[in-house]
Amino acid sequence: MYEIWLALNIVWELALANSGLAIGYAVIVVALALIASRAGGRAWRRGLPAAVLAGLVVAIAAFALVPSLSVSSFAELRYWVDWANLVAIAAGFGAAGAMLAWPLAAIIRGPR
Amino acid sequence: MKRDPAPIAGLGDIDGATGPARRGFLRGAAMLPLLGGAAVSGGLLAAPAPARAALKTSAKVVIVGSGLGGLAVAHRLARELDGASITIVDGKEVHNYQPGYTLVATGIWPVDRVSQRNADLIPAGVQWVKEYAAEFDPAANTLTTSAGTKIRYDFLVVATGLQLDYGQIEGMDPKAIGSNGLASVYNGPAAAAATWQAMDMFRRTGGDALLTLPATPLKCAGAPLKMTFMLADRLRQAGTKDKSKLSFHSALGNVFSVPRVNDDVISRWKALDIPVTFSSKLAAIDIGARRATFVSPEGEKTELGYDFIHVVPPMRAPDVVKASALAWKEGGFAAGGWLEVDKGTLRHRRFPNVFGVGDINGTPRGKTAATVKKSAPIVANNLIDVIAQRDPSQLFDGYTSCPLLLREGSALLIEFDYEGRLTPSLPGVDPMQESWFAWIMKTSFLKPAYMAVLKGRA
Repeated sequence: MYEIWLALNIVWELALANSGLAIGYAVIVVALALIASRAGGRAWRRGLPAAVLAGLVVAIAAFALVPSLSVSSFAELRYWVDWANLVAIAAGFGAAGAMLAWPLAAIIRGPR
Repeated sequence: MKRDPAPIAGLGDIDGATGPARRGFLRGAAMLPLLGGAAVSGGLLAAPAPARAALKTSAKVVIVGSGLGGLAVAHRLARELDGASITIVDGKEVHNYQPGYTLVATGIWPVDRVSQRNADLIPAGVQWVKEYAAEFDPAANTLTTSAGTKIRYDFLVVATGLQLDYGQIEGMDPKAIGSNGLASVYNGPAAAAATWQAMDMFRRTGGDALLTLPATPLKCAGAPLKMTFMLADRLRQAGTKDKSKLSFHSALGNVFSVPRVNDDVISRWKALDIPVTFSSKLAAIDIGARRATFVSPEGEKTELGYDFIHVVPPMRAPDVVKASALAWKEGGFAAGGWLEVDKGTLRHRRFPNVFGVGDINGTPRGKTAATVKKSAPIVANNLIDVIAQRDPSQLFDGYTSCPLLLREGSALLIEFDYEGRLTPSLPGVDPMQESWFAWIMKTSFLKPAYMAVLKGRA
């Protein structure tokens, strides 16, 4: 429980330190979700596969780029903990990407 | 009375020495990636913690020092005491993120990432006296500031940090850091940036480098080792390692107080062709001539030339503590004038209304931000116990951690306690295994964790 609380605090502080990005992301997701809500539940269901695909693409990109973006390289990932963390970080980015893509996909696909 | 918008319930209990989350600092950060994705995408960012009832009191609490320890305790007390008068005494206007100094000094971070306005970090409802403490009179429960202000207290938290004693090295001038191959990571952000300038210049040509370690207790005792590893790596990257000779001079019989870490580091340095000379104390330096004099315990002097030197200053308690009745009067901590606290409760051994947190404490092992993370909640909790006329209920086990940079992109995540036992947060993880995870912990996640600790939330 404590670890979850601490990790949430770290996420919170990261968001504070990057508040422009965090607020911008949240505003866009909420705005898209509001627009998409007019399309109804069917549109959301129709948009889900595209959102999952987008999330997967983002996750793969994050997996490939995060080591070098952290001023390191794949050559330094020599321990299972490293790989587990890289997968988790990539999954986090992928989830964020999917959250953004889902309402967008719902709007584009729309109710038919 | 200030109320934190995201108070944490029962953290003191959770974080107690006997609690299950003893080393949650790094374990929590290890969970960050998974939670990060969930939190960002799930809108959990503003999730508040449940509140714990505050203790009603009219106690006057004075906290001397506004570093990580002082601010972390202040935030907690401001939240958990109702009606208390809380005062921070410190003249400094800028708060520095000291764990970032090694990143600045080795060219990983820009210097502007380590400083921010102290005014932005003082808890609301806490009075800030922008003067330095000049004298303690614990028998009369008062202190006097550098401006002559007398401040009375019922309870005192000493969080002054320590004093870098460059004066013990003859000829050393901290203002010269950055010039003539002189480096020293400890003396603030400007010195860290200047150290990187000196290292950057040196790596272009290579040459003879001396790296030093004094005999006194140190804050962040891993920093001299990180500087050594990173210097070797910067030379390797520049292609000048083969033209260079690095040698480490320790005034002690080791390079790190935890035996397994000590042995591992020396073994790694052997592979990097970095010899260690033990019991070799930097006694004097001629900055212009680039010559350093080392002295053995027997008084034998050795003068060496260098192209680059990393000076680690001897450290001691600030004069205000060292000269006061609060300092140890006998034993191993007396010479440095460190604060005489019980190593478990962190309560003063002779003045029961006084507590200590951070570098100033005369307790075993070097301190880091992680030490404060673990000990600040204990100090706040035990002080609240004492205000409520109870015995201190929590004990500190000396937990400290050090992400030890090995080269650009890799580090070790070392955690240990008072006894020098390795205490890895993650079960099944070998603390001596170099990893990228430890690297991103140090470079990306520790500052946000530090800020959460400072605000008394983690």
